[in-house]
Amino acid sequence: MGLRIIDVADGIRLNYLECDKFKTNLLSVNLIAPLEREHAGARALIPNILMRGCKSMPTMADINKKLEYLYASSVGARNHKRGELQVFGLAAEMIDSAYTLGNENLTLEVCDIVTELLLDPVCADGKFDPDYTESEKSNLIDLINSNINNKAYYARERLIAEMCRDEAFGASELGTVESVSALTPADVYSEYKYALCHFPIEIFFVGKCDIDRLSDKLADKLGALPRDVIALPKTEVRRAAGETRRVTEDMPVNQGKLTIGMRSGVTLNDPDFYAMLMFNAMFGGEVTSKLFMNVREKMSLCYYCSSSPDAVKGLIIIQSGIESDKFEVAKKAIFEQLDDIRAGRFTDDEQSSALRSLCNGYRELSDSARQLESWYLGRRLAGAGGDPEDIIDSLSRVTRDEIVAAANKASVDTIYFLNGTLKEEEENA
Amino acid sequence: MPEIIEKSNAFLREKYYSFTHSSGLPVYVFPKKLSTTYAIFATRYGSIDNCFRLAGDSEFTRVPDGIAHYLEHKLFENPNGEDTFTRYACYGANANAYTSNTMTAYLFSCTEHFDESLEILLDFVTTPYFTPETVQKEQGIIAQEIKMYDDHPFRRLYQMMLEGMYEYNNVRINVAGTVESISHITDKLLYDCYRVFYNLSNMMLIVCGDVEVDEIDKICTKVLKPSEPIEIIRENPDEPASVFEPRREQAMQVAKPLFGIGVKDTSIPSDPRERMKKNAAHSILNNVLFGRSGEFYNKLYVEGLLSGQFDFGYEINQSFAFNALFGESSDPERVYERFSECVANAARDGIDREDFERSRRAMYASMVKCFDSTEEIANYFLSFRVDDCDLLDYVDIIANISWDDVMNVLREVYLPDRYALSIVKPLE
Repeated sequence: MGLRIIDVADGIRLNYLECDKFKTNLLSVNLIAPLEREHAGARALIPNILMRGCKSMPTMADINKKLEYLYASSVGARNHKRGELQVFGLAAEMIDSAYTLGNENLTLEVCDIVTELLLDPVCADGKFDPDYTESEKSNLIDLINSNINNKAYYARERLIAEMCRDEAFGASELGTVESVSALTPADVYSEYKYALCHFPIEIFFVGKCDIDRLSDKLADKLGALPRDVIALPKTEVRRAAGETRRVTEDMPVNQGKLTIGMRSGVTLNDPDFYAMLMFNAMFGGEVTSKLFMNVREKMSLCYYCSSSPDAVKGLIIIQSGIESDKFEVAKKAIFEQLDDIRAGRFTDDEQSSALRSLCNGYRELSDSARQLESWYLGRRLAGAGGDPEDIIDSLSRVTRDEIVAAANKASVDTIYFLNGTLKEEEENA
Repeated sequence: MPEIIEKSNAFLREKYYSFTHSSGLPVYVFPKKLSTTYAIFATRYGSIDNCFRLAGDSEFTRVPDGIAHYLEHKLFENPNGEDTFTRYACYGANANAYTSNTMTAYLFSCTEHFDESLEILLDFVTTPYFTPETVQKEQGIIAQEIKMYDDHPFRRLYQMMLEGMYEYNNVRINVAGTVESISHITDKLLYDCYRVFYNLSNMMLIVCGDVEVDEIDKICTKVLKPSEPIEIIRENPDEPASVFEPRREQAMQVAKPLFGIGVKDTSIPSDPRERMKKNAAHSILNNVLFGRSGEFYNKLYVEGLLSGQFDFGYEINQSFAFNALFGESSDPERVYERFSECVANAARDGIDREDFERSRRAMYASMVKCFDSTEEIANYFLSFRVDDCDLLDYVDIIANISWDDVMNVLREVYLPDRYALSIVKPLE
């Protein structure tokens, strides 16, 4: 394995990961912007408007019919945050030519569709189509509001908003209801034009294809764009938390959601990154971790209790769903597990189990085109190179003392509790 | 070595081997040159199996709702007190389990030490160990699992849709049961259910990855004790063709109303091939009528009645069959009306032949996409096998579905008394 990087145009790179084991290939075009509260909504909207139509396929039905003819190829909008960057664009999947009737080159055909959607949207009077814009604004507002439907996700989002309220990371990649409502077709169109000119564009292809032809096609389509690429800001990493903040919100639901945000202060470019991964795996990242084995299995307090790192922002987020009146008990139990690792109270078996699980995860990564793309894109944005095998190698060299040090580095910043107020009688009503 | 049967599919360029191990366990091996090997040990025992008897018994045994799922949790404990996840962790495998309406599946994926992990899988599932204390300990964990799903609007929507469609069929029961029903589960009841449903003749092993058939046969021989085949008779109450309650709703903490439309189908062919044919015809029909390229979705989207949050799927097995549509809409009633009009028009006028051809071709091609992951292959294969059907056959069946087949299922199933609407509304 290994990523081959081809410069297509100014600040536009094709990242080619050649794999011949997949029947389905993946092509994505990612615009990389700073995560900014005032622009996030417009940027989130752009891919959705692009997916409504282009010059040769002016409606969604036209696009989807065409994709069905192309052996059920798919193209979709994407928008997510990576550290303090917003990644938005289009992602496509198409089956390998070998499975088509006449050995058709689906990669090139789908690439034509993706670039047309990207570069030739349906416009009126030098701006996006007003109906498409209004309709996608309304869908995006619904999406923002419906964060509340998934309580675990909502609690995590609220935790991050509270914890990082004065950092760029505290912004949602969807924007806010207010900012999206205020956008006009002209606003979004000028944001779109700005993005095509100024943002770095990372194109990924995972699978197998004639890469020279693909790269020539992309150069041909994107080479004419006027480009003046900005330098992206670095994600702010706070190495330690201040005083712990506690935020509680009531909601009429059955289960309380306890979420705890810690500052690990460690990112994937730091030498102690691997020790932090090991610490997290032993603490709450795996089913053999202290949180799972004790808070769930021994104490029966919850169905899930886990921790996950954000490797770009340097955070560790703990999440659990509990009986609301068990807040103090659960919090205490979670911190006891943390204290155990900080004091070195863990066995060599716990350490080697965590290592094996992590290594297994990195090896399994190579069997999924989507996971590979996501992983390499993350590395690319952080300015880090390497392959999953390199991570395995570094993890294997982490010592007990380094794990203890990583655990002691992590400090608790914010505790957010979604307090379920629904009582048994009400839920049966 | 028992007799090995090879089955292949030329279009997909995939094949699998099957054999019955000397213990009585059916084994399916799907060779795949990937780093990850995936194994599932499954039993035909799900939440619907709460009233059963063995051939020869005169009385049916009725057990509390949610017991299959409870049993799944409890099998992870071992007589020596060791936790199964910890055993797997010695070899780096990633293990899990799930229970559905019709089955319980124990699985792992790994990139090395496959033999050792397979031994653990076969061993812990065939070694039940329940005590009053360990059973009691699980109540709190599963109660939180139930509450988590009770707060999940789409899960509630799905549950209400099933409760609306079915009056007697056990598919209407929540897979995990209720906090109340699981409080009646005892170690003795778990053993009773285990002895019936974990007979190897009622189970199967599926492995997908870079593995050899004889290696798997050897590990089975090392771990499994021969088991006398038994015949399980499940209570199968008659279910009317029309829905039980055409409409259910609940207010929850959601931003916008969610809707589920269930289409009940009680005409279930006993021949597995016919079930697959029906499945394929309904899936093509779904794409023609409700797919992203169709008029229904696109018109409602443009009118603001539907968003990207819209999905559908047909499900069929020996015990139940239905089609389901789910989405978010400011006006579920209007969506329901338009749905009714859409299917009535299609039944009257016939579906467009070009739409049919395109959908069939797209469905056939999209099957290729299911064969890139050992996890997806094994689980997809299992979902067919557990109902005596076959994934590789299904692909060819799709290719041979005719316009008439699709029109037949449309006219047979889409009758207004078969529709159940469920709605989750925002709180006042």
